Amino acid sequence: MSAGPWFIEILARNGDVLQRQRVDGLPIRLGRGYGNDLIVDDDYAAPAHALAELDADGRLVLRDLATRNGIVHQGRRHHSLVLTGDTVVRIGHTSIRIRPADHPVAPELVDRTFHGWEGALPGAAGALLVGVFALGVRWVSDTQYVESVRYVEALAWGIAAALLWSGAWAFANRLFGRHARLGRHLFIIGSGLVALGAYTLLAATLGYAFSAEAFTHYASHVATLLVAGIIYFHLCTIKPPNRIRYRWICAGLAVLGSVLILVANVQRTGRFSDELYMAVLMPPQLRVSQDRGVDQFMREVEGMKEPLDRSRGHKPGEDATEN
Amino acid sequence: MAAQRGQAHTGAVAGSTGAAKTPPQPPLVIPPTAPPATTPPAPGPGETDETTALPPPSSAAQQLYSAAKGDLLQIRMILKNGGSQSTVGSGFLVGASNLVLTNYHVVSQMALDPGVYGGEYIDTDGKTGPVELLAVDVLHDLAVVRVNREGSGYFQVPERPVRLTQGQYLYSLGNPLDLGFAISEGSYNGVVKRSFYDQLIFTGPINSGMSGGPSVTASGMVAGINVSKRRDGELVSFLVPVRYAQELLRRVAQQARPPKNFNPLIGQQLLAHQREMIDRLLAEPLSIKTMGPYRVPVRESQQLRCWGRSNFRLEAEYTADSVSCAMEAAIYVSDTQQTGHVSMTHQYLRSSSLHPLQFAVLASSQFRVDRLGASRDTRLTRPSCTEQFVQTASLPLRAVTCVRAYRKFAGLYNFTLLTASTDDAQASLQSRLDLAGVSFENGLRATRAFLSALGRVHPERRPR
Repeated sequence: MSAGPWFIEILARNGDVLQRQRVDGLPIRLGRGYGNDLIVDDDYAAPAHALAELDADGRLVLRDLATRNGIVHQGRRHHSLVLTGDTVVRIGHTSIRIRPADHPVAPELVDRTFHGWEGALPGAAGALLVGVFALGVRWVSDTQYVESVRYVEALAWGIAAALLWSGAWAFANRLFGRHARLGRHLFIIGSGLVALGAYTLLAATLGYAFSAEAFTHYASHVATLLVAGIIYFHLCTIKPPNRIRYRWICAGLAVLGSVLILVANVQRTGRFSDELYMAVLMPPQLRVSQDRGVDQFMREVEGMKEPLDRSRGHKPGEDATEN
Repeated sequence: MAAQRGQAHTGAVAGSTGAAKTPPQPPLVIPPTAPPATTPPAPGPGETDETTALPPPSSAAQQLYSAAKGDLLQIRMILKNGGSQSTVGSGFLVGASNLVLTNYHVVSQMALDPGVYGGEYIDTDGKTGPVELLAVDVLHDLAVVRVNREGSGYFQVPERPVRLTQGQYLYSLGNPLDLGFAISEGSYNGVVKRSFYDQLIFTGPINSGMSGGPSVTASGMVAGINVSKRRDGELVSFLVPVRYAQELLRRVAQQARPPKNFNPLIGQQLLAHQREMIDRLLAEPLSIKTMGPYRVPVRESQQLRCWGRSNFRLEAEYTADSVSCAMEAAIYVSDTQQTGHVSMTHQYLRSSSLHPLQFAVLASSQFRVDRLGASRDTRLTRPSCTEQFVQTASLPLRAVTCVRAYRKFAGLYNFTLLTASTDDAQASLQSRLDLAGVSFENGLRATRAFLSALGRVHPERRPR
């Protein structure tokens, strides 16, 4: 093991370095007293708590100086402990690691972050998207005489809600990453909302054009997927290296959400689908598939008799689940 | 029927008025039997007269009551577990027999759930005894029960229908609100044309609890059986004509023993009702009204009444006109289930200023019906739906039919048809047909008739 300089690192529970101190030579004295090389500001540490020095084999050893709380490694108390660069010991409530200057570190990560896309630029784009979404929703459902105050209100509520949401993510980002990255979070929620709106419109259009009712019957599952996607991008913004893990977490969330929706639908209505029938009516120019005849429709209605008669014999609540 | 029999019976639930102005909910009437609101008050100072013997009866009502009271009964439904009453109504002994006539809705609990409910009578002397259900007529709201005592012969149910003249005095007997036996005077005012089955209009007070009691002429002839009143009127009450009671008594005379389970019998009567109802509905082609460029089918008759409404004065960028036609009466099966009812609604939405996309959102929201009846209604199966884009003779539309089956009554279904026109980006005709308590064949027949009658006035100028 090399001789100095040495670095003592005080760690957070998640492994982040809270404080790092350079010590030029051995032995290193640790404790709450002012005569130590590292002053441990911890009420549970003794004034002279531990001493790190090389043993006969040249290994760095940490010795307990007969304290009440001792030194703890992996939940067990040790009188003395051999330290590698990765051994974390607890003194009182403080986690400590000692590394020599030649401790090997991992190679640098490839920087895929687009540093130009930070701050005001994505923030403005996100706010713009949120605004477009809020105004679009307001406009499309507006059946009263135009009054601009309703649009101003919609815009204000939309932006405020988006700021609250992205603010919470920025707070987490500041806590667990280094920067708040509010602009990016605002952009993510803005894009997510626009994607949700676009899907609703697309589902309605496809369902109406091709008589493909499944698009709206099960629209909530696509929405769940989109929300999971939004959360995934927020998480990746906080800790880009954990991308793969977040992918799995968000896929799990989406599946969980979908299952909950299905269970709730069955509980509530006995159907898997979100609605009894597709209520979407779009401009007639969008219709593509062929209309059926009245006879065809009535034949299909007739076909419902048998299943209905079968469920008549069941007890309430035991009806077969329908799509 | 103006509303009575079926709905007659909402019990002590608050009576809403003005129902006739909002067609989709059939208006209706009052409740005869119901949990009592109060206990009878103690006699007031002037009411007990211990000083002299009663004077001889003078007024007609006084004479009638003193002669009739021996044969007047209160009928109670008793919860078998616990033995407490759940509803009360009235009834009367027919002639010198041990048969009692009352309303079906007074004994419906006993008929539908004989394991849970039993019946009991109390006469004017306070004597009680059990009642045995012999026959029911759900359509006219009548029932015959047997008791363990015999009548004095006062109430004669005449063999032939009683001839009444408008304005003639009638006296209605019963036990209103469980306060005590009472007689009320009123007059006969003809036959209701609005009800599906004939009922007599009695202009006099009938209250909850008097249902099933007799209404007699001054000479003591039974003219009808108290059944209901309009809640949105004053003293507008209804009687079941005595001829239906005669028919039911004849049926009782013919049957060897009462049915063990009344549910199939009630199911058959409801099936007979819907046959008659749908036959009358489709006896001739549905009449066609015009709403903008659309032709919509309706049936307007004494039983099916139509009401129109518009949002014209609303501060909106669109206009919505609607026409609803509904039967004003339904068949009472139990206090939570009424059936044998038809209603149809057409709504014509249009806007020249809304963008097609905005109009699409508006039309979609109007077309969405989340629940067809209570989805947790366990007496019906869950709705089963068919949805398609359909082209009728002159109009392309989106059609949805949902059907629910009655669990207790084999062969009966509720049909709902919803349609929305798909020919115009800025106009939408949305129609709805509800058929409650019909056979599958009749449901299909009426649905098809209604669906195929929807059309456009000038199909050749359709934008599509």
